[in-house]
Amino acid sequence: MDLVLVAKAIGALAIVGMVAASMLAVASRRFAVESDPRIEAVLSSLPGANCGACGRPSCFAAAEAIVAGEVSVTACTAGGQQVADAVAAALGVESCAVLPLVSQRRCGGGTNAGRAFAYSGLMSCGSVAKLAGGDLVCPAGCFGYGDCVAACPFGAMAIDARGLPVVDLNLCTGCEICVRECPRGGSGLLAMAPSLGPVAVRCSSHDRPKLRKSYCSMCCIACKKCEKACPVDAIHVVEWLAVVDFDACIGCGRCVEACPQDCIDLSGRESVAPAAAIDGAAGAVPGFTPMSDEEALALSESPGEPGEQP
Amino acid sequence: MMELLQHFALLLIGAALVNNILLTRFIGLCPFFGVSGTMETSVGMAGAVLFVMTLASSATWVIWNWLLVPLGVGEFLYIPAFILVIASLVQFVEMYLRKASPALYRALGIFLPLITTNCAVLAAATEATKPGYFKMNLAYNFGFGEAVVYTLGVAIGFGFALITFAALRERLDVAPVPAVMKGTPMAFITAGLLSFGYVGLSGLFGI
Repeated sequence: MDLVLVAKAIGALAIVGMVAASMLAVASRRFAVESDPRIEAVLSSLPGANCGACGRPSCFAAAEAIVAGEVSVTACTAGGQQVADAVAAALGVESCAVLPLVSQRRCGGGTNAGRAFAYSGLMSCGSVAKLAGGDLVCPAGCFGYGDCVAACPFGAMAIDARGLPVVDLNLCTGCEICVRECPRGGSGLLAMAPSLGPVAVRCSSHDRPKLRKSYCSMCCIACKKCEKACPVDAIHVVEWLAVVDFDACIGCGRCVEACPQDCIDLSGRESVAPAAAIDGAAGAVPGFTPMSDEEALALSESPGEPGEQP
Repeated sequence: MMELLQHFALLLIGAALVNNILLTRFIGLCPFFGVSGTMETSVGMAGAVLFVMTLASSATWVIWNWLLVPLGVGEFLYIPAFILVIASLVQFVEMYLRKASPALYRALGIFLPLITTNCAVLAAATEATKPGYFKMNLAYNFGFGEAVVYTLGVAIGFGFALITFAALRERLDVAPVPAVMKGTPMAFITAGLLSFGYVGLSGLFGI
């Protein structure tokens, strides 16, 4: 082996490395930027995993945003209450309660939803979803074969009498495994929501209301009654579907009362009451009488079509 | 004088359009799909690439001609040496920008550190520096001026293709695309068609 060549190669890389290193060393001194010492303080309180759950690319970016006041001290999703308190202490401000995220089902169909064909294969949502898009007519609804129940490592989910999975909010840790397992998790059938306070819209279909009503008696009909009833402007009909802004929602329940379809319920509030530890336990749809189709169609065609603001 | 001007113009057009790094030679495709979702990010990326590529090629040209060639180790050491130079150069530029122009630093944002390991930057630096390595029949060996102009051309071509593609993708987002094709599949098809257009330029001016 040509030792001289090896020595030259090592020497060449060493020279490049040395020059680059000394250049960087000088630059880090010369171009040092006085940064806000609070950013360092907040950063040291954050977990430092750069997981991105807060929506920022890194913990450093999150610390910057917290110091700049763009987000609250509870911004760190992974850290929970402990980190929020530490961040608040570092900034010398008052901490506030972190609402843990839990899984929320956005479908009220179950036995109320029409099936396209009788499925008799493997009892798994994942397998039925691959068969011509699934046996539900609804393109977004819950199949009810319980892949989420089987996947939940905490035993927090169960299929109820309606054929829909319900979440025990005391057991749910917000791990999102059910959302990933659900073949329709990507389209928002199962989604994460704050455990306290919010209401849940039990529909995630974006079909036209008329079409939706034809295959499911529990669907959102985009009548915008919830939107009008909301005192804090926290619920809006977007693309023919009521969507809750969890940051603004105060959980007053006016939309629940206003909804002609019983499509909205107080999931979090209901479930923390000791009597009903399970979401939607209030309703195996007792006493639910679906509207006649004429009524619902009349509602869905009244001012409610998106794009036509009154 | 005229001939020199023509030579540089050919170099620029050849690098930017005829041999477009993204759509004719398929180098640097990860940012091409990764950041072309919105106009804003693609413009940021194009600016950052233009900036870093030109600097990187100038630096690697100096390293190659003044260090690697005299020592006779260039043939096998150019990749580690260039990567080292490019990475530290980006770090240096980042520090300098942060001090001198916080606005530009913020505008380039995450893209500046990201392109440290971008293959297009290494490709442009290698092509501009190594003799006999993709010179579009224009030369066997680039001088410093040629290397810089060539790299500018590559970077302009990169930015042009990226921004065009971002514009198309923004339109596709609201177009009635069949559900199965929505998103990335449609982006791939669009990229293929766009590539057709660029490949059609091949052989233009004999470059």
